[in-house]
Amino acid sequence: MGEQQYAIEMRGICKSFGSVAANKNINLNVKPGEILALLGENGSGKTTLMNMLSGIYKPDSGTILADGREVVINSPEDSKRLGIGMVHQHFKLVDVFSAADNIWLGDDKSGQVLKKDRYDVIRDMAHKFGFDIDPRKKVYNMAVSEKQTLEIIKVLYYGARVIILDEPTAVLTVQETAKLFNVLRRMKAEGHAIIIITHKLNEVLEISDRVAILRKGEYITTVDTASTDEQQLTEYMVGRKVELNIQRPVVEKTRPLLEIRDLTIKNDEGAVAIDHVNFYIRGGEILGVAGIAGCGQKELCEAIAGLRPIEGGMMIHKGDNIVGLPPKAILEKGISMSFIPEDRLGMGLAPSMSITDNMLLKKYDLSKGPFVDRKTGRAEARQVIQDLEVVTPSTETPVRRLSGGNVQKVLLGREIKAGPNVIVTAYPVRGLDINSSYAIYDILNTQKKDGVGILFVGEDLDVMMDLCDKIMVLCHGRVMGVVHAHKTSKEELGLMMTGALDLSNRYEDKPAGIAKDSRIEEKEEEE
Amino acid sequence: MKNHQPVFRVVKREGAGPGRQVLAYVAAVVLALAAGAVLLQVQGVDPLTFYRQMLTMGIPGSRYPWRAVENFIKLFVPLLIVSLALALAFKMRFWNIGGEGQFMMGAFWAAFVAMKLGDRLPQPAVVLIMALCGALGGGLYGMFVAALKVKWGTNETLLTLMLNYVAIYFLQFFAETKGEWNFFLDPESARPKFAKFPEGAQMITIPIGPFRLNLSLVAALVLCALIFLYLNYTKRGYEIAVVGDSPSTARYAGMKVGRIVIRTIFLSAALIGLAGAFHVSSAGVMSASPTNDVGWTGVVVAWLAKLNTAGILVAALLITVLQFGCQTASAAYPSIDANFANLLQGVILFIVLAADFFTRFQLVWTRKEAAK
Amino acid sequence: MNDPINVATLFLFNIVLVNIPLLYGTVGEIVVEKSGSLNLGVEGTMAVGAIFGYLAGCMSNSLLVGLLTSFLAAGLCGLLFAVLTVSLQANQNVTGLTITTFGLGLYFFIGKGLGEKWPAMTGVPALMDGFAALEIPLLSRLPVLGKVFFSQNLLVYLGVAVAVLVWWYLNFTKTGLRLRAVGENPGAADSVGVNILLYKYLHLMAGSGIMGLGGFYMALNMSGSFEGSNCWINGYGWIAIALVIFANWNPVLAILGTLVFGFFNTLQIYSGALAGAFAGPLGWLSAVPPQLYKALPFIITAIVLVATSIRAREGSGQPAALGLNYFREER
Repeated sequence: MGEQQYAIEMRGICKSFGSVAANKNINLNVKPGEILALLGENGSGKTTLMNMLSGIYKPDSGTILADGREVVINSPEDSKRLGIGMVHQHFKLVDVFSAADNIWLGDDKSGQVLKKDRYDVIRDMAHKFGFDIDPRKKVYNMAVSEKQTLEIIKVLYYGARVIILDEPTAVLTVQETAKLFNVLRRMKAEGHAIIIITHKLNEVLEISDRVAILRKGEYITTVDTASTDEQQLTEYMVGRKVELNIQRPVVEKTRPLLEIRDLTIKNDEGAVAIDHVNFYIRGGEILGVAGIAGCGQKELCEAIAGLRPIEGGMMIHKGDNIVGLPPKAILEKGISMSFIPEDRLGMGLAPSMSITDNMLLKKYDLSKGPFVDRKTGRAEARQVIQDLEVVTPSTETPVRRLSGGNVQKVLLGREIKAGPNVIVTAYPVRGLDINSSYAIYDILNTQKKDGVGILFVGEDLDVMMDLCDKIMVLCHGRVMGVVHAHKTSKEELGLMMTGALDLSNRYEDKPAGIAKDSRIEEKEEEE
Repeated sequence: MKNHQPVFRVVKREGAGPGRQVLAYVAAVVLALAAGAVLLQVQGVDPLTFYRQMLTMGIPGSRYPWRAVENFIKLFVPLLIVSLALALAFKMRFWNIGGEGQFMMGAFWAAFVAMKLGDRLPQPAVVLIMALCGALGGGLYGMFVAALKVKWGTNETLLTLMLNYVAIYFLQFFAETKGEWNFFLDPESARPKFAKFPEGAQMITIPIGPFRLNLSLVAALVLCALIFLYLNYTKRGYEIAVVGDSPSTARYAGMKVGRIVIRTIFLSAALIGLAGAFHVSSAGVMSASPTNDVGWTGVVVAWLAKLNTAGILVAALLITVLQFGCQTASAAYPSIDANFANLLQGVILFIVLAADFFTRFQLVWTRKEAAK
Repeated sequence: MNDPINVATLFLFNIVLVNIPLLYGTVGEIVVEKSGSLNLGVEGTMAVGAIFGYLAGCMSNSLLVGLLTSFLAAGLCGLLFAVLTVSLQANQNVTGLTITTFGLGLYFFIGKGLGEKWPAMTGVPALMDGFAALEIPLLSRLPVLGKVFFSQNLLVYLGVAVAVLVWWYLNFTKTGLRLRAVGENPGAADSVGVNILLYKYLHLMAGSGIMGLGGFYMALNMSGSFEGSNCWINGYGWIAIALVIFANWNPVLAILGTLVFGFFNTLQIYSGALAGAFAGPLGWLSAVPPQLYKALPFIITAIVLVATSIRAREGSGQPAALGLNYFREER
């Protein structure tokens, strides 16, 4: 036998959602008895790519081969029949069912009638793979890690020969991770092909045979794990430092405007999203927040805007506590938050309403009389359209219909119009072309010169290194350190993002993220 | 493994012009009438004659044509107001299907005022108080559900549905129980029967020649304009639009979503109660089943009109013509029931619902795409 | 007639006889709702099942043909609902209401259209016999209970059997398990290869078909006499929707719920007789307004609805994805 046949091969896969290209001409293959790590930042298109194997999406173009034969995967059913099993990051479990029933659901072998012995079958099967579960336990009573285990058992039970795991270790403890890896190694020995989506470099090096890297929807390369190291992988993942021409004006800084002390926040699933975080923003500076997407940025933004309750800690604006204030009161203090989610609609905009109406979102109530002051709104809309070169048929076009980055130009344009003193902005250039991006950087710099404090949550490290004054790196909700943007390197940031480098305790005399001229009084801290 | 590709796949459409929608509606009405014509033919009724009688509503050639118009208005006004009110709630994605109950509560409290004050105060005062009490009665009945929904997320569709029946039997109790205390009933009748309202509680009419213009029509049209203004130009209307579009954005903008929901549902239910008050006042007598199904038909009208105020005016007119027209036309044919209108209405809505799909989604032909 | 035991027996007997259509409607709607669809068209679906089933039964002089036709005709209403809401993603509430409007319109159109030609049930022996009491040997000789539960007509037993069968199907078969998954979390069911489209279509049709059987029952119980003003179904379809909540989406509890609802329904007719027969303990019955009896089931259901929303969802049988349309590529 010559060249070993691939279990799965993807050739030239493209997929876009509306105008956003999620996958551009991707090639990927995995052999039986091999663990392939799929590496890339979130938003680089890993999950989209894998969902085309699991039958959730269909590729716009490109071919998929299973065992060397071209196949078409129209549905999860097709995928299952081909022996492909995927453990989704967001669990696909029925809450009110028991563990066993969640597995039984997709079982084709056993008879029609549900018998009590299915619990034993599932327990025995789980034991065989080295898992210990209670098959009668209802999913809503399970901890996150138990749900994860159940998902893995489910896929194994269906006899998948190609197993895809989307960020499987994100919710597991160290011991559980070790256990999982043992299982994966055994699966590999039995001839399964395994694809593991991750951004943790140490795990990639520990478990995988080869690594395929995606960046911004594009396929970069595939390398043998044995012949690579963290440094090289990081570079593939984040790319080389590109020289950009973004200005970084030097502005006289003021005392801290916004101080965050010991902040802890939970996400919607109840897991800790932000873990005892300290930082502060001065007027006239841009503090960048770097990190793999989904490591607490969203929760942090929401908490500052008063949209999410916090578990503990302090948020002090100009010496006043803003914890527990309603969103409106925080707005009135001059704190502006704009978050561009992946679909670029959602928070901050009312998609079916016109640009004019969206301009008025935060100030419709300020005008006199019972009517909405659309005249002002329209004038502002016109100005934003002009200043930021928004492409739109008119000021009355629903935001939903705008294409490309025009949506966030409208959002950011509105936020700046309100004249805030603290701007929290997340992914403001997501999906924008170069020119519009620069327009946005200019706007932020203008604000900075006016003494506004800016928290810039970004994904492009090149941009952040040029634009920001300091960069705070988050990894799984914890601060890995705050570095000066002009002193750091892309490699350093990459290592911090993946948790390989922790600079938070570099200076023992000065805890990271606490300003010397803090406005937080001692007694307040003790409270 | 079969290696087949489906012929097409479904993709969300970015938005379609209004022309396509109007076309779909006209087509729906024409197709429904055509389907109806076939059914009429089967029954041995000439469809053209029937439709002519239906659309003219028996007005030409009648000895009292203005009476027909007056009766038409009595059907049209409640439907128009209820549809407008429901559109308010639906705009916020609040599924108020309790129009029937809220209407009955409005009618009940209006009747209460009519019987208590009808002969003590001047007519305009009585009618005004009836309207206010009807609105309050209906409004509170609906607001109660909104509060539960905001507080605990109670399913409003099912709860409003239940409350409809509670209201029905509440009214029936007063309609069927004879007693000293029951001032709603006619004391002279041996069997329980609602007494006519005193003169002062009858809806005010403006004589124009032999025709008496029901004041509630004027009120309904004014309301129509007011609601148009409210939804499109006021701050409260703006809030409704934002909450309906994206509750998370509304919260982000500092709006108190719960309060907005409760306020809007109160308003919606109050308008429905007002329609109930207008109805009993125009009829001049209470009834155990006053609604004529407007709570249900209103949902259909609001949906047909895409919650658009002007559209509601048109759709309510269309549905009333169908219903009133079928009533008059079917009188001439023993084999045709007034419910024929419901049949047509159902077919129209089925077609519109189906056509909606093609304005929200589009089919992409897989083969063609592959060939590209 | 005034013998207290007789009155009580007759009262209980009628609870079962008159209210079994509720059970059919409820079980049908449970099947539909378990697939994640809230179909408010029960009333119309039952009406369609009733009139077609009755007419087919009369024409063929066969109970079985009547049953099958009512099942199929109502099933077609379910198919219509499925095409509109599952394939064409139309709003479920509006579609359901339209099915009711349309169904009642069709009912009256056909009834009025037949006019003189309307067949009388007395001329159809198969239906008369089919609806006659069927005494179960031995059991029917039990005092009181024998009359109440074991001297009913065939369709009563069938209704109970259907309820138990559906309960078994939902809880003890794999298709039932998958169906529940579709109603709870279609995304999860889809990901393990359950054909959502097929499950929704089949169960919307089957559930609607069961409602149709209830309509057929009502036609027979009304002795097949068509009245121009009032539909046979007379609001039972709406009560069925309430009963689904009351029974916590459980077909066996629906049997109990039918008896509870039926108890109040029948009490308003029998309260006088009962008060007369048991003047001592039940004399107060006649003082209670009969409308309260009718309203009570709805009031209780409303309270159940609110109470379950206050309590966490745990233990509630309400499908989590009830009323939501499913579109796979929705992100």
